[in-house]
Amino acid sequence: MPFRKALLILLPLALVCCLLVIFYGGRGQPSESTSYTIADSTGDWGYPSPYTHYSRGPGYVRMSLIFETLVWKDDSDFVPALATDWEYVEEENAYIFELRDDVTWHDGTNFTAEDVIFTIDYVKTHPNPFVTLIGPSGVKEAAAIDDYTVKLYLEQPYAPFLHDVAGTLAIIPKHIWEYVAQPEEFTDAQAVIGTGPYTLADYSKEHGTYLYKAYEDYYLGKPAVDEIKFVKISEEMIPAALKEGSIDAGDVPPEVVSEMEEAGFTIITAPYAWNAKLTLNHQKEPLSSKQFRQALAYAINRTALVEITQRGHAMAGSPGMMPPTSSWYNPDTPQYEYDPAMTKQLLEGLNYTLENGYFTKGGEELELELIAAADFKEVGQFVKQQLEEVGIKIDFSTLEAKTVDAKVEAWDFDLAVYGHGGLYEPSILKRVIMDKGFNSARYDSNQALNQLIEAQLSEMDAGKRKELVWQIQEIYAEDLPALTLYYPDWYWAHDGSVPLYYTMDGIASGIPIPLNRLAFVE
Amino acid sequence: MRNVITYVIAFLFILTLNFLLPRMLPGDPLMAIYGNEALIAMTPELKAHLIERFALDQPLWQQFGAYLVALVQGDLGYSYYYNAPVSSIVLGRLPWTLLLVGTALIISTLLGIVLGIESGWRRGSRRDKSLLTGLMTVSGFPDFFLGILLLIGFGVTWGIFPLSGAITPYSGMSGAALMLDVLHHLFLPLTALTLCHIGASYLLTRNTMVTVLKNPYILMAKAKGLPDRAVRYKHAGRNALLPVVTRTGIQLGRLVTGVIFVEIVFAYPGLGYLTYEALLARDYPVLQGVLLIVAVSVLIANFLVDLSYSKLDPRIRYAH
Repeated sequence: MPFRKALLILLPLALVCCLLVIFYGGRGQPSESTSYTIADSTGDWGYPSPYTHYSRGPGYVRMSLIFETLVWKDDSDFVPALATDWEYVEEENAYIFELRDDVTWHDGTNFTAEDVIFTIDYVKTHPNPFVTLIGPSGVKEAAAIDDYTVKLYLEQPYAPFLHDVAGTLAIIPKHIWEYVAQPEEFTDAQAVIGTGPYTLADYSKEHGTYLYKAYEDYYLGKPAVDEIKFVKISEEMIPAALKEGSIDAGDVPPEVVSEMEEAGFTIITAPYAWNAKLTLNHQKEPLSSKQFRQALAYAINRTALVEITQRGHAMAGSPGMMPPTSSWYNPDTPQYEYDPAMTKQLLEGLNYTLENGYFTKGGEELELELIAAADFKEVGQFVKQQLEEVGIKIDFSTLEAKTVDAKVEAWDFDLAVYGHGGLYEPSILKRVIMDKGFNSARYDSNQALNQLIEAQLSEMDAGKRKELVWQIQEIYAEDLPALTLYYPDWYWAHDGSVPLYYTMDGIASGIPIPLNRLAFVE
Repeated sequence: MRNVITYVIAFLFILTLNFLLPRMLPGDPLMAIYGNEALIAMTPELKAHLIERFALDQPLWQQFGAYLVALVQGDLGYSYYYNAPVSSIVLGRLPWTLLLVGTALIISTLLGIVLGIESGWRRGSRRDKSLLTGLMTVSGFPDFFLGILLLIGFGVTWGIFPLSGAITPYSGMSGAALMLDVLHHLFLPLTALTLCHIGASYLLTRNTMVTVLKNPYILMAKAKGLPDRAVRYKHAGRNALLPVVTRTGIQLGRLVTGVIFVEIVFAYPGLGYLTYEALLARDYPVLQGVLLIVAVSVLIANFLVDLSYSKLDPRIRYAH
């Protein structure tokens, strides 16, 4: 009997203890001032300091409210940030940045050229996942001309320098970080002292929430919104939470867009940045033949694919990879409009004959293996159906995502469906056409294409660079190491109290999230 | 004493499995231990440091030694996705799961027992029949489905309960208001879990009750002129309790993983949700950490059940 009584007392006591632990951990802040709440289905993206946020776009965005870069972008162009003016000196292959002289760190210390020089040296010795300062995009030397002018000598001419480095590299305060040896483990209050419009008031890993307060002494004036909150809400609940008024902004699925518009919300559409691809194993017969790859492209109706598998919420892919909405898009890229007769003609040119509805060569039936992660199941099925219709047998299997990655990386496949983002700045082309890794087509057998891809990276003249990028798209589409299938539509809905917008070519090095800190300042 | 030895053996077995599994995966054990995320951040120095830390260049038994030493120091490993020690990540989530699962388990078991006793006492009555049908129907739904129904009804449509999470972030509440806020958020996931689990303990109690009622000592108790309630609860009820306690003990371990779906539906920041996130990110250190915690909690639960047996039914003490 005493045991039962003890149990009756102990169990509730344990629960009360749990509650106490939770209360102790949950600190609240009063909220009378203007406050803006943003929903996110993942919630936790790491402590918003340059080395501790998770190395994905949303983590960078949370950091970018606190830390600033030399230059920044708004919806249409580069704009001054810590630097008011910049200039490229061709003879010396160097950039000169004029810095603002009225910037203070959140602890009151003045920001000077010293901090910029320090940051560059620091990032060279402590690699940061978002910026590479060693190699082609690197800075050979950083020199302070005076307290508010810095000169950065590049390793080699690098066209996307403003975009990938000056506009992405978060400047950190020397007087704090010079004592930090392990930046990945630096998570105290000092680690979030920046120059940006907001300071971090709270971060909760468990709840996936962030609270930011406006920095009163911000050099562009006190931000318009006093308080920004990030809260975690599951994807399906975001529309309901918007309507209920508990959040001000969040990403919404395409299906609810018209409903949200009717309810009075502002919908903003992301410029296409992500593509789903059919990647072809160009290392292996018969896909090593260019004509064969082209034959496949003619057999797949990409417009119908968008209608059926994406319910119309996407744009059909361009074989040149760059989306038709991009300023870099070449309208003369070969399109391979749906034409099964052309497939037949090309395959017959490669000595295939159609027997019993399927192509055969030397008595052997043509059969290809297609793999895709579960996310692309419908796309894979559609591709299978289209190719079988013209007479190519497909053995389709859906696998766990990482298994697809591993098989593609080991060239152990014929066809695979996968996707990647970053289609803003053409510097991505080298990464996804030539470089190693499962995300890349790893296609380097066309010397002309290789040279063009390298050349556009170091072409500092914007007009000439555009010409090179145009040529790349034509050759890539002609050679077809992979076929871009579609670019999905992405939407955010918000209540209009803050004029959110998508940044030109994405935030920093290309993050397609409409949370540019400038929207909260002006 | 023999009992304790059994538990120690089981515990060692779990530790060994937890140690061996990632090392038996094909490919680089560092990759298996740390997952893809580590490779993004992996520098040659870091790699050398990790190889040393896990003694990966040493024979297997020395690696096991290094693993045990780390474990004794409370080191469950390091997650490169969260950029934090696994123990701190797991401990941050544990109270929420305990709150949700613990409350659900207590309410569903107590309610199940009381309803089971009442039902079994008058088997075949209208009350028994309607209870049986109602509870069987509700418990037949998967917990996440019940959760979604409750969420759409009470959360989205009527807006009585919050849509997700465990507290209202940055509401500035404290004390009693905060406690109410936590309960407000707890209500729907708790109801879903409780409704799902009530059926089993109810049925078990009801069935045992029916058997127990046939025993001569019940007739004896009635003949002594004891009040109905005393016979029902003290004589019949207590004896019907044993199988329910066994089941509850088994449930305790399973609930931590069984709660995954409900936590996902309500974005509740517990261990289940953590497991789901770790699976998506292939964060092996966190998965292993959760696995170990769950395994240990099952052991502890079983141990407590063993202890409570002899208290509930003194005959067991003499059976060994």
